[in-house]
Amino acid sequence: MKRIKWTIMTLAILLSIGGAFASRPHNVQASLYYWTGSSYMPAGTIGVTYVCETSSSICNYYYSNGVYMPYTTSASYTPLALTTTRPAPTKSK
Amino acid sequence: MTMFKKQVIIECIVALLIMLFLYASISKFLDFKTFIGQMNNQPLPNSWTPFLVWGIPFLEIAISVALLFEYTRLLGLYASLILMILFTVYTSIILLHFFPYIPCSCGGVIQKLTWRQHLGLNLFFVSLSVLGIIQQRSKHFKPIFITTKHSFV
Repeated sequence: MKRIKWTIMTLAILLSIGGAFASRPHNVQASLYYWTGSSYMPAGTIGVTYVCETSSSICNYYYSNGVYMPYTTSASYTPLALTTTRPAPTKSK
Repeated sequence: MTMFKKQVIIECIVALLIMLFLYASISKFLDFKTFIGQMNNQPLPNSWTPFLVWGIPFLEIAISVALLFEYTRLLGLYASLILMILFTVYTSIILLHFFPYIPCSCGGVIQKLTWRQHLGLNLFFVSLSVLGIIQQRSKHFKPIFITTKHSFV
């Protein structure tokens, strides 16, 4: 049983480490862009100047070999200053 | 169910949990700058980020190590259940639009999932942890059979 146990565990560890390395994205965080509708502009810092809100579009892009490629998908670019906040509750009479 | 089958089921459950936690923590460390940004992207106070970016991956690794060894396995299963419940509650809060905006569900290939799929994945691992706890506890439980030979009646 011990041999079976350690075979399963070794396989699990190797798969998770291998999977993490295989799915590692390119280091493009510093140079991400967003689509304004007519051109690509530097996106800024995620969480500081903008957030990626869940939607069906693409939040930001990275530049590779002369082409802008999607980086964060299923999200939309939202500058933090424009993020809508919940209205404060009003007292009912 | 034979003891052997039960043991193999426990090993498979534990292996799946180790794969989840180890994959998630290594992915975070491999792209640490992005992870910090993603943490800031969450609708939580940014002052929590330094604690969360170090605390979550280390906790995930600690749970994986605890799950590996028989002596600490039950503790690891309880810890994984608590962590997965916390993630599930957070995902549910996001889906209920409790926060002013819905952030991206970032992290390795997991960012390809929508928040609903994320919730499904979390619930699957919550049930896996519960099943693991039940199996692990029943393994150590030895029923006492009272036979007429040993009874005083």
